[in-house]
Amino acid sequence: MIRLVHAELLKLLSTRILMWLGLLTLALVALFLSLTAANNAADELARPGHQRDLVAFAAVSAVVALILGIVVSAGEYAHKTIGHTFLVSPVRERVVAAKLVAGTLTGLVLGASATVVSLGLTALWISVRSVPSHLGSREVLLAVPGTLAAAAIAAAIGVGFGALLRRQTGAIVLALIWLLVGEPLVAAAGVQRYAPGHAIAAVADAGRRSGELLRFWPGTLLALAYAAVLAVAGAFAVSRADVS
Amino acid sequence: MAEAAPLEVRGLTKRFGSTTAVEDLTFAVEPGRITGFLGPNGAGKTTTLRILLGLVHQTAGEALVGGVPYRELDDPARTVGAVLEASTYHPTRSGRNHLRVLATAGGIPQTRVDDVLEEVELTAAARRRVETYSLGMRQRLSVAAALLGNPLLLVLDEPANGLDPEGIRWLRDFLRSFAGGGGTVFISSHVLAEVAQLADEVVIIHRARLVAHEPIGALTARAGEGAVVRSPQAARLIEELGRAGIEAARVGEDRMRVHAPAERVGEVAAGAGIVLHELRGEGASLEEVFLELTGGEET
Repeated sequence: MIRLVHAELLKLLSTRILMWLGLLTLALVALFLSLTAANNAADELARPGHQRDLVAFAAVSAVVALILGIVVSAGEYAHKTIGHTFLVSPVRERVVAAKLVAGTLTGLVLGASATVVSLGLTALWISVRSVPSHLGSREVLLAVPGTLAAAAIAAAIGVGFGALLRRQTGAIVLALIWLLVGEPLVAAAGVQRYAPGHAIAAVADAGRRSGELLRFWPGTLLALAYAAVLAVAGAFAVSRADVS
Repeated sequence: MAEAAPLEVRGLTKRFGSTTAVEDLTFAVEPGRITGFLGPNGAGKTTTLRILLGLVHQTAGEALVGGVPYRELDDPARTVGAVLEASTYHPTRSGRNHLRVLATAGGIPQTRVDDVLEEVELTAAARRRVETYSLGMRQRLSVAAALLGNPLLLVLDEPANGLDPEGIRWLRDFLRSFAGGGGTVFISSHVLAEVAQLADEVVIIHRARLVAHEPIGALTARAGEGAVVRSPQAARLIEELGRAGIEAARVGEDRMRVHAPAERVGEVAAGAGIVLHELRGEGASLEEVFLELTGGEET
């Protein structure tokens, strides 16, 4: 199993996809964070809650991690390399499990890089705008585990979803449409806190209270449940499908 | 207990919806030999191979590698080397990294990667992206991947497709030396000539069913004796031959192909007082036998 996880990581590292998704994440974090910090008044920026908001832009990495997860599981169908993979490792459930581990680890790394950048940029804006720093406060620091967990679980959800569909582009488009259209519709019905996107948001929102979202632990358990159900369904679908 | 055949299918059937790709197929491949797997395009060769390799699920029957289904092999990479039809790669991954991924997943030492690259003469291009490879280089990369685990059995699906004559010669020499070292080869093709010089025996399928499984020599013998005849009285000769129970086919104004030894044709012609301008014994080519067995369809 360890060698299969290693092989999956090697697959990611031997193409440029990880580099591009990483750069995309960092660019998005830097852009959103800087636009917000530059446009807000200094007394606004001085509040711990606002500094938390800035650091929490790192949670954008969860959306990219979702896409990354889909690439990890469905990408081999797009490039038709899945046959090679199953020839070496014909027990397909083990391949899906290895992809789940590798995808989750990579999502975690993506979240960590985004957090480093968001902490650094927030510190930079605090110093540029000469406001007192609350970066050491519990409220701000809890954004770190929130982002890491959100990115890791989002990647796991992506792996399961990609395995279920086995179509890379289709799965990415569907996932984004769900986030942009599906979740707001669910929110209109008032049950958004149980939707997967909002569950991930609840994970990222660690340490805070929002009427829109579940609290951290229920949100984390729900997001993990989504990941688990999709992974099991994905493994089942992958095992049954013919590889042509 | 006798050792299990390297490859064996028993009553193998695969249906895709209402289409039957493979119907009740049964055969076993002998160890230490090169077996050709022949049939026109669409006969079910690729489906059969993919079932044997655990990539496609059969509807009924068994497909065994060394006596067990592929999925139950302890160490598939060290048991079977497979070259899939029109193998595809991630375009921006290098050939060497492609092999490193497979070696890692199969628990094969990374040193083997450079060994097999050397063996297929791909060392110089190893670190280039696969998208820059020619078709022949991609095919050799496939062979390199198949060799990673040092298997004693190679399964190749239409490996000559798209290869230039030089590539085909390389492949042929390579497979000969592999078999010479005691390896078993199962190679599919829709062109008999590709495997005729290579194979010890052939399995022929057509429209999802087995039509022949015999040594290549028997297939040659099946081609049997025939004759090419030229006569100004062609129509009468065909009539007389028909009366003697001999089939003949007109291939020109005064020429015909006869499915009988030349002596027999001469006797019939003499008996009927027919003038012959040419009488020459000539067996059918393997290609013709193949076409005959598979219903004469164009491949």
